[in-house]
Amino acid sequence: MRHLGRTLAVSALPVLCLLALAALIQTFAEPFQVRLAYAFFMNLVLALGLQVFMGNSGVVSFGHLGFMGVASYAVAILTIPVALKATMIPDAPFGLAGVELSPLVAALIAFALVLVLAFLSGFLVSRLSGAAAEIFTLALLVIAYVVFTAWIDLTRGQRSLYGIPVTSGLGFAAAVACVSVVVARLFRDSDLGLQLRASSEDTLAARAMGVHIGRLRHIAWVISALIVGAAGVLHATYLGAIGPNSFYFSQTFLVMAMIILGGMRSVSGTILGVLAISVGNEIARTLESGPVVLGVDLPEMFGLTGFFLGAVIVATMIWRRDGILGDIEFETLFRRRKAPSKGGEA
Amino acid sequence: MTEYILQQMVNALAVGSEYALLALGLAIVYSIVNLVNFAHGELITVSGYALFFSAAVWVQNPWLLIALAVLCSTLAAAALERVAFRSIRNASLNTGMLTAFGVSIIIQNVFVIFVATRPRAVQTPAFLAEIVTIGGLRFPVLQVVETLTTAVAILALVVLLRSTTIGLAMRAAARDFTTVRLMGVRANRVIQVAFLISGLLAGIAAVFIFSRRGAVDPFMGFVPVLKAFVACVIGGLGSLPGAVLGGLLLGMFEVFLQVVLPADAAAYRDAIAFSVVGLVLVLYPQGLLGKRVELGDKEA
Amino acid sequence: MLELADIQVRYGATQAVRGASLTVGKGEIVSLLGANGAGKTTLVSAAVGIIPVAGGTIRFEGRDITRLPAEAVVGVGLTLCPEGRRVFADLTVRENLILGAATRRDRAGVEADIDRFFGMFPILRDRAGTEAKTLSGGEQQMLAIARALMCRPRLLMLDEPSLGLAPRIVEQIFELLVTLKQDGMTILLVEQNATEALMISDRAYVMANGRIVHGGKAADLIGSQDVTDAYLGAAAHG
Repeated sequence: MRHLGRTLAVSALPVLCLLALAALIQTFAEPFQVRLAYAFFMNLVLALGLQVFMGNSGVVSFGHLGFMGVASYAVAILTIPVALKATMIPDAPFGLAGVELSPLVAALIAFALVLVLAFLSGFLVSRLSGAAAEIFTLALLVIAYVVFTAWIDLTRGQRSLYGIPVTSGLGFAAAVACVSVVVARLFRDSDLGLQLRASSEDTLAARAMGVHIGRLRHIAWVISALIVGAAGVLHATYLGAIGPNSFYFSQTFLVMAMIILGGMRSVSGTILGVLAISVGNEIARTLESGPVVLGVDLPEMFGLTGFFLGAVIVATMIWRRDGILGDIEFETLFRRRKAPSKGGEA
Repeated sequence: MTEYILQQMVNALAVGSEYALLALGLAIVYSIVNLVNFAHGELITVSGYALFFSAAVWVQNPWLLIALAVLCSTLAAAALERVAFRSIRNASLNTGMLTAFGVSIIIQNVFVIFVATRPRAVQTPAFLAEIVTIGGLRFPVLQVVETLTTAVAILALVVLLRSTTIGLAMRAAARDFTTVRLMGVRANRVIQVAFLISGLLAGIAAVFIFSRRGAVDPFMGFVPVLKAFVACVIGGLGSLPGAVLGGLLLGMFEVFLQVVLPADAAAYRDAIAFSVVGLVLVLYPQGLLGKRVELGDKEA
Repeated sequence: MLELADIQVRYGATQAVRGASLTVGKGEIVSLLGANGAGKTTLVSAAVGIIPVAGGTIRFEGRDITRLPAEAVVGVGLTLCPEGRRVFADLTVRENLILGAATRRDRAGVEADIDRFFGMFPILRDRAGTEAKTLSGGEQQMLAIARALMCRPRLLMLDEPSLGLAPRIVEQIFELLVTLKQDGMTILLVEQNATEALMISDRAYVMANGRIVHGGKAADLIGSQDVTDAYLGAAAHG
């Protein structure tokens, strides 16, 4: 843990910026802007969770939204008042219809559940080759979605579960985001993270040097799933109602575009990407509903946000494969600017 | 009882054939340019809208409809290669996969913007919906034709790969593209042909898929293509025989689940199928016919 | 026949070839010698268009082919038999040869050439239907040479044909090169194995650290201190 001090020091800048942003919005903004800001912090936690796995292992995961859903549903089912459950999910298995826990205990149980599921699915992800593992993460997303929609006794299927006590707020979300930044940086700077990144560049060479890629990948998978689980807790405890479609494709596209645009190999890039796509997505959503811009009445164009996200992904891949920041973190960026590169091309 | 079992076996073969056709197209492209083409499913959607629009402009002849649908997916595959995938040709696996993922989202949403999200009815030749009696047993024509068509398509592909120069070049390029170019074979041509074949196979599969579903919507391509990819992984990613084998096995397994699962568990069919496949893969991570990557090979 | 003038090749920031020039005349066997890492493979790869050149010109029979992509170079009559043989492992011996003739349209001529090479290498005839990966190293090298000849080149480049082979096989391959020369083939031979290569060559160049450091008649270079220095010098540089 000798890098602990350094990591805390370099995390200070983004953490302070995020906290300042939250404070400003909380103080001055309209309620709908507070909601947008909350979504930003929640997506940031989600994206950072993904970054821990994808950025270090070099393996793309489409399946993490499943973990978010598991955590959200766990919190929802455990905290919704018994009286409400009697009308929504009276036949819930394991006697869950009669259980009502505090949000904190529910969150802890949700984490435990995510931990178990991530540990089990991690065997698959860590054994398969890169491409096969990536295809299977998508299968995991489908498995999760099928369970959310088909286990009607427990989840109410396609209909939403409501009545979750709203206990979270913007400050809490910002705090969770800051903790996630620090955890992601800690993992990135740790020996594990370093070895994992090195092995993702050349699997054969890493194997030859005795690096256990599978084990490293497994650890990163579990840590990232837990962070994503935190995003799920934030989701359920703020909105008060959840449905299966929040944990499927559209949300997966969104978070993918975020970390691809910013640069998934860097924590700072991830933060930047979440910020940029949050703003862009909001603009696209406004255009989609056919607003009046400069006196011109635009037509309704459903699908514009999706199109925008797809276009961002393709454009980034073609023109700036590693995202805006690549594998550079903020502090390197500033250091570079202060001390112009010595000698340049050596 | 035997009749029921036989009927389900033909059903299983038909579903397996559908996955095999899609998986084969994916495997051909993957083996040559290492691209995990998630946009493959949108080729099915393109075929579907081709059927929808050509019927809307009074194309009546069923054979012409089929030809148009297959032609559209074939051309769409070649167009995707030219417009999107050529600019990332020698990039990493992830770059290719994410590009394909982005392309797939774009195409889906183009259909959302210009057509609509809700499903559109699609006509396929009426004879596919009939029942045929073979040896006193009744089978849906669709299932019989699908299995036979797939067998013919696979046979044709084998002939192409074994006895034409471009076929040899494609097989060789799967291992070592540089040396194939040294032989004077144009890389663009090999890759274009690979995409054309994948589009053609997707188009053929699409005709059967729409005969079953009867409707097209912008997002429908995803699930079949994911199953086809899972089939490829079962067989060993990049192996063509593996894709066919994986497709058939997955299709048969699904039909098996459908038969044995109690009614209230039927909704979980895909989840159970993927989970079981996942468990098998933990034991055989290379897939059934996959080969280990050796130094000097293109990396998987 | 082939002229490389001041060729430069870069891999990112490192320069692998720094201004190399050489010529190969019609009917000659010319050797390109040098230690491992001298830049020989890079130079011939650049000559056939696998690697882009950063500077200099490549002319073949007077025509500028500097920017020609690899697949088009075969068409002008120049071919490379690559380092490490690179036979198509999953294809049969016969399919390897057919693919070697990918640019030709005369089916009968192709069949005749296959027969001719089966005559020259009876072992290939015996293994015609088996996958190339089952052949021994020497057999694979013969297949690689035959495959390169299938496109009827006027100049054949061979990159390290003796790599990893037993001395007896190396001897056979070098004898084959002499036979090819007698039939009128022009050959550029890249070798680490200096002495044997010089025995069959008309002229030779020595490469070190990305430059041609020596050139001359093969007979003069045999046992020459310059050649030895090039190897030792390169070794000393790392």
